[in-house]
Amino acid sequence: MNYRSKDCIAMLLAGGQGSRLMVLTEENAKPAVAFGGKYRIIDFPLANCVNSGIDTVGILTQYQPFELNNYIGNGQPWGLNRNFGGAFVLPPYQRSKKTEWYKGTANAIYQNISFVDKYNPENVLILSGDHIYKMDYKKMIRYHKEKDADCTIAVLDVPLSEASRFGIMNTDKKNKIVEFEEKPKVPKSTNASMGVYVFKWQVLRDYLINDEDDPESSNDFGKNIIPKMLGDGKSMYAYNFDGYWKDVGTIESLWEANMDLLDKDGELKIKDSDFRIYARNYAMNSSTITKNAKVENSYITEGCTIEGQVKNSIISTGCTVGKGAVINKSVIMPGAVIKDGANIQYAIIGERTVVGKNAVIGENLDMKQNIRITVVGNDREVLDDTVVPTGEIK
Amino acid sequence: MEMLGIIFSNIYDAEMGELTKNRTVASLPFGGRYRQVDFTLSNIVNSNVTKVGIITKYYYQSLMDHFGDASDWDLNRKNGGLYILPPFASGVTTVYKGKLEALNSALMFLKCSKRDYVLMCDSTVICNIDFEEVLKSHIKSGATITVVANKDYESKDNVNNELVLKLYKNKVVDMAVNSIVNEGEYTGMGMYIMKRTDLIEIIERSVSHGLCHFEKDFLQRQYIAGNITINCYKFDDVVLRNRNITTYFKNNLSLIDKKVQKSIFKKSAPIYTKVRDEAPTFYESGCSVKDCILADGCIIKGEIENSVIFRDVVIEEGAVVKNSIINQGTVIKKGANLVNVITDKDVTVNENTVLAGAAQLPLIIGKGNIV
Repeated sequence: MNYRSKDCIAMLLAGGQGSRLMVLTEENAKPAVAFGGKYRIIDFPLANCVNSGIDTVGILTQYQPFELNNYIGNGQPWGLNRNFGGAFVLPPYQRSKKTEWYKGTANAIYQNISFVDKYNPENVLILSGDHIYKMDYKKMIRYHKEKDADCTIAVLDVPLSEASRFGIMNTDKKNKIVEFEEKPKVPKSTNASMGVYVFKWQVLRDYLINDEDDPESSNDFGKNIIPKMLGDGKSMYAYNFDGYWKDVGTIESLWEANMDLLDKDGELKIKDSDFRIYARNYAMNSSTITKNAKVENSYITEGCTIEGQVKNSIISTGCTVGKGAVINKSVIMPGAVIKDGANIQYAIIGERTVVGKNAVIGENLDMKQNIRITVVGNDREVLDDTVVPTGEIK
Repeated sequence: MEMLGIIFSNIYDAEMGELTKNRTVASLPFGGRYRQVDFTLSNIVNSNVTKVGIITKYYYQSLMDHFGDASDWDLNRKNGGLYILPPFASGVTTVYKGKLEALNSALMFLKCSKRDYVLMCDSTVICNIDFEEVLKSHIKSGATITVVANKDYESKDNVNNELVLKLYKNKVVDMAVNSIVNEGEYTGMGMYIMKRTDLIEIIERSVSHGLCHFEKDFLQRQYIAGNITINCYKFDDVVLRNRNITTYFKNNLSLIDKKVQKSIFKKSAPIYTKVRDEAPTFYESGCSVKDCILADGCIIKGEIENSVIFRDVVIEEGAVVKNSIINQGTVIKKGANLVNVITDKDVTVNENTVLAGAAQLPLIIGKGNIV
């Protein structure tokens, strides 16, 4: 009997605690961290899938799954409420023989082989939940098919000086991958892996099963699966991507990516209506900007009341900025309340956090070289007149 | 006790001129990111009514497009959900003139439901009301029908079949339609609750007698004849009645006021609308924004004051917009100057164009026009 099948489904690795985001991920998985005013990090890979015609996404998670589960729901905000397919949050679960947490990225997929098999896809797209970028995966899959590759890895041309922070793909003239180096000290090329892979499912399936049998393996795509496939001479190609892409795994990079929306909007094209980023909506009223307010070079999302000064900043859904408050070069996450006279500079203020009257958070580093971001976590209360020193993370 | 919701979408189209040329009053944009009907429908949904019919007459495509599968209102349901009820054209029905005739074409919808009570609402009265409280009051009163009303003495141009109720010791002692309101009297808000079976009976009897207006032909006649009892539910929060272009304009701008906002938009009872997934609004360096409400998706470079800006609007540098309502997709180019203007959807105002209306009668630029 022929079962209904899909051409390609996506598996989104959203398992990480994101410990380098510290207070922002205390009770929240990294992919559910707020970004760009009205989004969560995971909205980007999800919207990329939907805009690329992929309607089945398995979301692999094991850290604080509630927020993520609650956020994804039935997938309706992304149009992923499908009868055949859709969005699925896949945490590890108890089995009759062997029950364990996801040991590594490859193991997470291994534990969900039966999920993938249900859709009997020709190809599987492996994504990670901590990158901000807009990408049409359809083009990459077409390329993967043209090359008849077993595996295609999306790569980004990075400056040579930064190449040693990434997994580097060394390719031949036909873009076939000949060597993979994880964070090389002396990089031979500048093709950095973006953590976006397309595999022939049947090929990957065999490798996952073999990898699981190897007690030495750390069950990781970058460390085990990719090098093993290369060693076996599998047909592996690099796919060059040249848009905006940023890993937001650290406080600094999360802040930078938010600031990039202001400085380098041309690159991410967040406003491009032909490639929208979808997000769960919270039915907030329009924002109010009063006569005392001054807003410059900033994004302000719906549901805000702004009475103070906002400069070079991102103000997320449902925030309040009081009279005489000053916000500069900062990210204010959803539902935060900034009271009258508070001064926030080069900071990230967590969700629903209340910053008291005349509190001072961080300092103006406009002319400084060395930028240290001050962070106040989610659901905090900064009392009136408190000073939170530059670089503090609380 | 469960209620069934009925919304009338275009009974009062005529009063809105150009703005309802191609849409129902229900789908008239309001308050930056909403359509008028969003307020009515959200109130109904927030009152735990899960089956709602919207009676339409013509130009209802914009309404259907707005609702989609109704999931943004949580009305994509197995038991109940949202029903668009276009005219049920059979041999005996025609495109209707009044609410009774309109209800007649929704008779099957009313008969098929098993809910005990029917909640009927106009879509031109904006407020945040809990209909569960109204139902409680209705049941307690034992009256045939409950009318929601408030004190509103400003209204001199009382046109939309509004009821004026005189109360004595909380009992309705006099009732007029489209009358001048005196102090102490209550003005109907176009919201009614009654038993479903009673309503069906009234519709069948009225239509066979050639009656078509709910307020004049049924409520007033039967009340004067002493056949029915009326319970008045007094609503004392903010009510915005969009009766005509002047009030529509004024009410839109009134949403900039904190107090009005606070009573219309409540965290416990949000107003839902179609989700359009716009990016947040970008404010460029050098822009000036004073006392405005703005939806997502805009780019603001110019100067705006005391205005309502809908989604996806571009205001270029040097443009000045004051006391205006700028609808979705409008582009206002460099150096243009607008005072007391309503631009409908997708209007382009060219460079250095000067447009001015009066506060009592704003200038309306029709949908899609380039000026």
